[in-house]
Amino acid sequence: MHEFSLATEVINLVQREAQKRNAPVVNEITIEVGSLSGVEAGAFESALKLLSEGSIIENAGLNILRINGIGVCKTCSIEFEMMQRMESCPVCHAFPSEINGGNEFRVISMTIE
Amino acid sequence: MCDTCGCEGTDGVKIHEPGHTHSHDHGHGHSHSHHHHDHDHDHNHDHEHEHDHEHEHEHEHEHDNMQPHTHSHDETGDHSHSHTDQKVISLNMNILSQNNITAQMNRRFFEGRKVLCLNMVSSPGSGKTTILEKTITNLKSARKIFVIEGDQQTLLDADRIEKAGAPALQINTGSGCHLDASMIDLALKKFDIDSNSILFIENVGNLVCPAMFDLGEFKRVVVISVTEGDDKPLKYPYMFQTSHLCIINKSDLLPYVDFRVDETIKHARTINPDLEFISVSARTGEGMDRWYEWVLKQNSR
Repeated sequence: MHEFSLATEVINLVQREAQKRNAPVVNEITIEVGSLSGVEAGAFESALKLLSEGSIIENAGLNILRINGIGVCKTCSIEFEMMQRMESCPVCHAFPSEINGGNEFRVISMTIE
Repeated sequence: MCDTCGCEGTDGVKIHEPGHTHSHDHGHGHSHSHHHHDHDHDHNHDHEHEHDHEHEHEHEHEHDNMQPHTHSHDETGDHSHSHTDQKVISLNMNILSQNNITAQMNRRFFEGRKVLCLNMVSSPGSGKTTILEKTITNLKSARKIFVIEGDQQTLLDADRIEKAGAPALQINTGSGCHLDASMIDLALKKFDIDSNSILFIENVGNLVCPAMFDLGEFKRVVVISVTEGDDKPLKYPYMFQTSHLCIINKSDLLPYVDFRVDETIKHARTINPDLEFISVSARTGEGMDRWYEWVLKQNSR
């Protein structure tokens, strides 16, 4: 259930950045959520929509970009799509692999007037 | 905003010093009827974005009194909606950046005072508080110990810690499910922690959310007990991945349960190959010496 506190962080972050630029309204925000980041993208999006009421992002369009996990095998160096954190290499079955994508959880951009 | 469901103010978090401000709830009938409205928000934005500035909004909300009604308005005014005025600001900011900055400030504070800060995490009932009680009894002559206790409600754990002989500060998170760096920052302003001491932070019992929130600790210690399943590390990988030491508690109960220590270690090491393990029984004292040695050999700088 930490998606709610994370959504609060997003609203605070966007508000700070908008205020810095004297923007009264934010029209759109783009957020990356990696599949291995520990954040449930669906729950996060619902939380953000619920909490945005009355905030600076109330009417903003939300682009939630889901980023697939990418693993790189430490043994054979092959790159593969990682569905879970502790996945072994699909080719040589070695473990562990390095995570090379999917940890993202960040605000990419906002659109202001 | 409440950390769990976004429904309260930040005043849901309370910090108590046991024996000093003892702000007990004396059971006055002071109950906030705290019901979540099921907002069935059917926002039918009929956004016909033709730029002759005529668009219709239709909002339908269902209120509690179950009398659905619609608002609609035509906007025909001078509605300057020129897309050319819009600016896309690139941010690329980590969403937990504020927590991470505060955690880093806490870390600098600990380093400056040579305080060894350990964040103790586990599911509820694994024996964190008992481990801390025994640790205080055994180590307080070697090093001064302070404890920050995180629980949703009550001062019970802080009282137990004070009885064991260490100053304790209780953070009640209200309905929140974890401690965050700003709560520790707030606690540090109330708590005068000696240089060269050890600060244990007992996090809210929860194997999910505390994993994401750096508090500024030097090391994170995850406790599991043998009455839990040995597949816990696979089910809650984030917690095991972000911890440095895993204490397997209640080892005195091993003959009576199906818990396999080897399997647990194997599972946890697939997630975090560097994770250290110590098997203990806080109740009987078995294995606790290894834990004390581990604590005393940590060099917080």
